[in-house]
Amino acid sequence: MNHPYEDEQPVGRLQLTFLRRLWPFVRPYRRGFCLCLALLTASLLLELAGPWLIRLAIDGPMQDTSSAQESRLTALYYYAAGFLGVTAGGALLGYIYGLQTAWNGQRVIRDVRRRVFEHVLSTRLSFHEKNPAGKLTTRITNDVENLNELIATGVLQTFFDLIKIAGIVVVLFCLDVQLALFTMVAAPVITALSVIFRRRAQVAYRAVRSRLALQNAYATELIGGVRTTRAFGREDAVSRRYAERNEETSIAWKQTVLHFSTFFSLVDFALRGTTVGLLWFGGSAVLDGDLKAGEFIQFWLYFTMLSGPIRALGEVYNVLQAAFASCERIFQLLEEPAFPPPREAGRAAAGSAKRGVAEVRFEGVSFAYDEGPTVLDNVSFTASPGQTVAVVGPTGAGKTTLLSLVSRLRDTGAGQVRVDGEDVRDLDLSDLRRRIAYVAQDLFLFTGSVLDNVRLFDRSIDEAAVWSALETVGAAEFVRALPEGIRADVAERGNTFSQGERQLLAFARALVTQPDVLVLDEATANIDSHAEAKLQRALQLALRGRTALVVAHRLSTVRDADLILVIERGRVTERGSHQQLLAQGGTYAKMVRQAAAG
Amino acid sequence: MSWFRSLVRAFRRPFRHLRKHWRPVLVGLALIPVHASAMLWMPRLLGETLDMLTAGGDDVALAATCWLMLGLAGAEAAARFTSRKLLIDTSRVVERSMKDELVSHLHTLPTAWFDRAKTGDLTSRMTQDIELMRFVIGPLLLHGGSALCLLPAGLVLMLSMNVSVALASLVALLFVFVAMKFVVPRLHQWSKRSQEAIAEISQQAQEDFAGIRVVQQFDRVPNELASMATKNRRYLVANLRLVRLRAVLNALMHSTGGAVMLGVLLVGGHEVIVGRITIGELFQFTGYLALMTFPLQILGWTIATVPRAQAAGERIEELFEVASEPQGGLRPQVRVDIEVRDLTFCYPGATTPALRDVSFSLRAGQKLGVLGPVGSGKSTLLALLLRLYDPPAGTVFVGGHDVLEIDARVLRAAFAYAPQEPFLFSDTVADNVVFDEPDVSDERRDAAIADAALDQDLPQLRDGLQTVVGERGVTLSGGQKQRVSIARALLSDRPGVLLDDTLSAVDPTTERRIVNGLRRAGAGRTLVAATHRLSVTADADLILVLQDGAVAQRGTHEELLRAQGPYAAAWQLQTEARALEGGEGDGT
Repeated sequence: MNHPYEDEQPVGRLQLTFLRRLWPFVRPYRRGFCLCLALLTASLLLELAGPWLIRLAIDGPMQDTSSAQESRLTALYYYAAGFLGVTAGGALLGYIYGLQTAWNGQRVIRDVRRRVFEHVLSTRLSFHEKNPAGKLTTRITNDVENLNELIATGVLQTFFDLIKIAGIVVVLFCLDVQLALFTMVAAPVITALSVIFRRRAQVAYRAVRSRLALQNAYATELIGGVRTTRAFGREDAVSRRYAERNEETSIAWKQTVLHFSTFFSLVDFALRGTTVGLLWFGGSAVLDGDLKAGEFIQFWLYFTMLSGPIRALGEVYNVLQAAFASCERIFQLLEEPAFPPPREAGRAAAGSAKRGVAEVRFEGVSFAYDEGPTVLDNVSFTASPGQTVAVVGPTGAGKTTLLSLVSRLRDTGAGQVRVDGEDVRDLDLSDLRRRIAYVAQDLFLFTGSVLDNVRLFDRSIDEAAVWSALETVGAAEFVRALPEGIRADVAERGNTFSQGERQLLAFARALVTQPDVLVLDEATANIDSHAEAKLQRALQLALRGRTALVVAHRLSTVRDADLILVIERGRVTERGSHQQLLAQGGTYAKMVRQAAAG
Repeated sequence: MSWFRSLVRAFRRPFRHLRKHWRPVLVGLALIPVHASAMLWMPRLLGETLDMLTAGGDDVALAATCWLMLGLAGAEAAARFTSRKLLIDTSRVVERSMKDELVSHLHTLPTAWFDRAKTGDLTSRMTQDIELMRFVIGPLLLHGGSALCLLPAGLVLMLSMNVSVALASLVALLFVFVAMKFVVPRLHQWSKRSQEAIAEISQQAQEDFAGIRVVQQFDRVPNELASMATKNRRYLVANLRLVRLRAVLNALMHSTGGAVMLGVLLVGGHEVIVGRITIGELFQFTGYLALMTFPLQILGWTIATVPRAQAAGERIEELFEVASEPQGGLRPQVRVDIEVRDLTFCYPGATTPALRDVSFSLRAGQKLGVLGPVGSGKSTLLALLLRLYDPPAGTVFVGGHDVLEIDARVLRAAFAYAPQEPFLFSDTVADNVVFDEPDVSDERRDAAIADAALDQDLPQLRDGLQTVVGERGVTLSGGQKQRVSIARALLSDRPGVLLDDTLSAVDPTTERRIVNGLRRAGAGRTLVAATHRLSVTADADLILVLQDGAVAQRGTHEELLRAQGPYAAAWQLQTEARALEGGEGDGT
């Protein structure tokens, strides 16, 4: 079997450059994060004070047989009260710290998500064509969530653990140098164990992740493909295939469990071994009278506080690894250039856009997709205000690409696309797109009502305007017939509408903004004579009083056009009116003959 | 008690799978007391040693204690390793079996159920929910087991030493559980809200990215950003609430440890001063308490996670509780002649029929064309022939038998099917084509690929037939997917072929190639083609034009052209479109 394991996302390395790139997002909240660190340090100090008070109680009142029992008990109560204060204070600070971290961390995450979302919406169409929506969506969900781990658990917690280890070590040296030195010998052993472990775990974990991803992708597919599977009676084969992938993941999991089990056992054993060493050296010191019992206990308590952060440091690597991989993907995405590119230096912005019937002119326009073959080659024509230009020619000749250049969904390679004489690249993109409406062959529906789908959630367009657009195109009738009328929810993919109805809604969506230019990819007629009549009427109304560029699929549309362009292999091979082209007796005339042959 | 019932409902299935692997579970669990007792022995050794030291003991006794402790540590590590490996591995096995079981179960559910189910929701139950259960079950066994050993044993040991110190610690421990009872349900509730909020974000992003052309063309970016900001805010609020609750929980756990130490210090110190216990014993107490803190935290964590796992378990059970399609029936040698009599069909839950009074008959080897706009009932008719849904009794007959009486899998085995939305698995193109007959010869495979005009796409694919497609590979265009789907249907040697609008995304030249391929590969087979493209069915023995579920026109191509109805009009327009796209009019 040919599994694309090697295609799996790069494993994030601990690259500090990511932190630098993350900084602009963290910066607005830096005060909050500083407060977090202060709280963390304070709670650490309080935590360290606990064992110290216990030592004082043990070496003081508990063993001080010289004083009266009464005063010894009083002293004990003072220490206990102190301990209570320190512990409660530590818990409170810990609580505030938790809230503070979240308050800041979650806002950073929100900002990152907002930025990534905004960026993806403004990237080039060709980028979207290469990256399916599902993949881009995981960037703003899963990957951004992983980033949260990096900020909350990763950086702050790691920092905290390091500080804690450092603080405890300092205290240990103050207590007893020999014991502390011994601890220092043991600590590298434990750290070395962690390092070896995490290398192995890294490999094992990567295998799990890629296999799990493969398995889950297959799970999604088998749900989507259930009808196909059923129709072919392949349920057993599909289940078996799933089981195979499931088993592979399971085997990979067992590897990681092995590493984890080994790691935890070894680290625990090393810690206990160190404990035994402590007992030996500490015990000898007590026997020699160099160390008091209370001090020994204090040392002991501090030492136990050490094992937590050391263990956590071993585990944080896994969290960081996922987070860094996500970081890499997010920043890679943000590097994708936004569209439109910033205006070239020296190109002045054209004045505020005019409204009203426009002239559209192509001057020597050429276009190629990234390093691909030429799609449009030196195309020139003019659509005077109010004119309809029809484009015909074989599939793949570049007709749809031509349409997408007018409203600057893509930019021309060479040449200019001009609207009212201005190069579209000099116009404000919003102004330009507001003047031009694009009707694609199929209607993309968003979750929401018919109303919102026609006005595209633009609340400044009121319901009356939407109704009027629906009336104009002849869609009002079937919208009224829907259970909740204009407020009816379009189903998840809008499968409830027929093709004719979808076309009418697409016209309504285009006309409701009252555009000056209509760019239309005419859909092929369906066997629905009722809808066909309506569509013809809607088309005529839509073209009236507007400049239009139409990829035509109907003879009637071409016949009525002011200018017909025949495009073959990206070049305009014939141009003229219906009559002129018929007289020429070229490709167009041949097309018309064939059309009549039906 | 309903809470308890739901708990049982959620966890019954994983525990049934656990029972199947009782051996490793038993060994793993049996080892827990081993490492627990090794752990519990140590504080006592320490306490006694400390007393011995303060009383002025000797090096030999100290050395002996050290060796004994080292041995205990070794035993503990070995036992802990084994039980962890066994128990966590088993939880993975349970996850795996549950996933397999669920997949097998899903394949038995009625098709109508899938129409209502949302793919995203189903997938998350199949993946995240089951993983969450595993995530709880493994640690529950491992840490829950050791908590069950350490907590009572530690308490008993402490009680046996000094009742007042032990009770003081116990009170502090109990406090935390009472408090948790208040926090945990809220935690559950807000985590659900947070999940809903991120689902909304995901939904909008997915839609905006899929409809990027519309978003950009109509300049909707600012609007979408505003709407996303609202969703982001909702998610933020939910998460902050969640974090606050978690912080409360953490603070509680943290202060419990402290409170316990306080009890030891206060009451224990008092007992030391009045001379009832030694300092070594006091130290022993703290040792026990330190050992009990970790299980206590794990217990707290488990309590916090169980509700989520419980909800996950219930969501999984909901799937298992959906009744399977009825199985069984006649297993005749199916000859594909089709007879449909006065078929009126309503989808479950719908009020208007999808098909009304449809009748026709088709002899084996004949070709039927089904035309009509979207929603006119074409796909429904094909689905009923396959019995993806149950038609009313006495309306649909295949090979002379009512389809309701034939075993569904036998019936389906008679047809090759290319559905309206072609479905490809992320496998190689070749594997997708030979889906139905994995052992087919390369010649037959290549012939089917040529008939479906898929061969023209292969040079464009990186690894040709071996290119991996789908989620984790190359994305094919709609037309390419349709061609794979057609090749898949033509390859199988089933006597019937059902094509559901499989040429909608295909250009005129390719369409002509496929029509010829169909003629070749479909010879002698019963072919039912639902389509918008009239040229595909021009040579059919019978053409039905459906309108709103009813037959509006019927006849052969010539008869329908003469009738001057919708068929003739559409034929004219489609010929025009083909001509203007540079294709030649078929002129059949």
